[in-house]
Amino acid sequence: MARKILRINMNELKATYKDIPEKWARWGGRGLTSAIVSDEVDPTCHPLGPNNKLVIAPGWVSGTPAAPSSGRTSFGAKSPLTGTIKESNSGGLSSQKIAKLGLAAIIIEGSPKDGKWYTLHISKDGVKFEDASELLGKGMEEVDKICWEKYPNKPAVIGIGPVGEMKLTNAGISINDPENNPGRYAGRGGLGAVMASRGIKVIVVDDKGGPGVEIANMELFKKGRKKLTSAIMAHDLTKQDGALNLYGTDVLMNIINEAGGLPSRNFSAGQFEGAAKISGEMIAEMVETRHAGKAGHACHPGCIIQCSNIYPDKDGSIIASPIEYETAFALGSNCGIDDLDYVAKMTKECNDLGLDTIEMGNTIAIAMEGGLLEFGDKVGALKLFDEIKNKTPLGRILGQGVEATAKAFGVHRVPTVKGQSMPAYEPRAIKGIGFTYATTTMGADHTAGYTIAPEIAGVGGKVDPLTDKGKAELSLTFQAATAFIDSSGYCLFIAFPILDIAEGWAGMAETVAGVMGMDITGDDVIAMGKEILKKERLFNEAAGFTNADDRLPEFMRYEKLPPHNVTWDTPDEEIDKVYAWVHETAD
Amino acid sequence: MITIDLAIYGPLARVAGGRLITQTKLKLNNSAKIKDLLKTFNISPDDISYVFINAVLCDVPGLNASLEEPLHDNDHVGVFSKGYMWPYHYREGAFISKNLEIALNNRGTVHHTYTNE
Repeated sequence: MARKILRINMNELKATYKDIPEKWARWGGRGLTSAIVSDEVDPTCHPLGPNNKLVIAPGWVSGTPAAPSSGRTSFGAKSPLTGTIKESNSGGLSSQKIAKLGLAAIIIEGSPKDGKWYTLHISKDGVKFEDASELLGKGMEEVDKICWEKYPNKPAVIGIGPVGEMKLTNAGISINDPENNPGRYAGRGGLGAVMASRGIKVIVVDDKGGPGVEIANMELFKKGRKKLTSAIMAHDLTKQDGALNLYGTDVLMNIINEAGGLPSRNFSAGQFEGAAKISGEMIAEMVETRHAGKAGHACHPGCIIQCSNIYPDKDGSIIASPIEYETAFALGSNCGIDDLDYVAKMTKECNDLGLDTIEMGNTIAIAMEGGLLEFGDKVGALKLFDEIKNKTPLGRILGQGVEATAKAFGVHRVPTVKGQSMPAYEPRAIKGIGFTYATTTMGADHTAGYTIAPEIAGVGGKVDPLTDKGKAELSLTFQAATAFIDSSGYCLFIAFPILDIAEGWAGMAETVAGVMGMDITGDDVIAMGKEILKKERLFNEAAGFTNADDRLPEFMRYEKLPPHNVTWDTPDEEIDKVYAWVHETAD
Repeated sequence: MITIDLAIYGPLARVAGGRLITQTKLKLNNSAKIKDLLKTFNISPDDISYVFINAVLCDVPGLNASLEEPLHDNDHVGVFSKGYMWPYHYREGAFISKNLEIALNNRGTVHHTYTNE
């Protein structure tokens, strides 16, 4: 039974199911969204216009029995924030449910002729187009609640908040978590605005009675699953009671701050005096002392790493879930705010309104630098969300993200690449990440490709000891590995164990080969990842992007970052080597 | 005597009066080194992972390359408990001490845990 492509035409309010065509049959997740966007979306189109499409794809192994930590859903389109191709993926309930309906991807095109908003209900019986009027203007907390009350079987709820409805370029797509909270986001790149431009408020996915995921070679799948699970459970970073499990991703706050690489006060310093107060350790202390909330929370069924958290208030009620490192940096150190309760309250607002927390925190920091309020003004920062809720002109500017807000307030220290603001690693202090920020096809993004310390032994097929390789080649290698993992449905955090433990790397590839019936091993991962990157890079070139766009912002070249007082001094020609191969090889 | 601005993170923070984070000032002899700082709190070198002095990485899990690092008045020291993570994926290009650089070179290629052979 071939996987299906569900094509939803919003012009006609019509859904069609077809077997996945041969040209896309090898792909899942990011590989599939990028292939479809490359094939069907004009790179020069306006991202909010009629010719963009929203593509949703579970990964290769999502929905299979007990593949560990494999609940990522990829969302793809041309991004209204960056103007590039975009894949943004998220945990939550959607990936496994879409996969269990036998779907390889959902392609959404057109927009309703009647100008109305719709809820799409997708089940084994097909697609229902329902009037979404009653949901308009509502935040995702209420929308998720209404959907679970209205529809049976605890479905996945994929939705946009009021920011998406306004088609602002920092609108993310929310996916409910196992407790039906809206904390999981395909946040980056403004894809919520693309979903809005298709006239859709919510997509409800009920997999009950679905055909499930066909596994071509169960023996190979089980063999790979065992290796991968063992690697995840053995590795210090991902095992139970490991650092990620105990303190969440915000365990990095104190370490990166100690290293002088924590962006603070709109990227004007690499250390923040209040970092410890907004760290993962402090989240764990709050959970312990307030006798509420949770550390070690799973964002989707079957996750064995469980790095999410549920943050409690003083009275034991829940403020928000999750507080990630990137969230705590953006809404915390980068705004000069050292109060975790306020970081949580702003996170709640982002999750409810439908905002990417990284972009929103960085936007508030820009507004602070522009004089709208002082750095550290936590009360004022929280009030800014009312501007967005009330759809004021100021709120609409803030909802457009960092670059638009910088223009509105005359700020020149703008920490973006290709229109997207930087995550929580200062590239002047930790230079390796700068290669990724500069060159990824997605705009500044820490998840698009890791860089690696030179003393570390590489594993994973052909990635042998890495010391002698150039940084450009390393960056490309890890961008390619990331593209493969993003296609699998696995959480990117499996990269930590599989890059350390060769059996894990092989096991990951074997699970994919087992499900798909493909003749691949760990040795094929990088080559397949490069195929995806090439599609994305060529789309961006056709959209008008050149090497000149692969640059960190100018201020980082002349403004010294304390405490190390360093600038970004990597020559442009080194950066340009990362993607030089695209036009040099026949790949 | 010199004064050290000390931060301890993770379970070791309890030895200095905190829960999971301790931030305190500490008086040490003029010739004090990291190993002396650890002795003050009866912390075993086996129980530490990353150590920073003034935003320079001086130790990673399993190497104990920081023990002989001299301390100076008003230095800031950050000590992390065993079991912490700083994925090497995000570490390339960070500032590290000479002693750590030498220890890493002597150790040869390592994995994240620094315990794999």
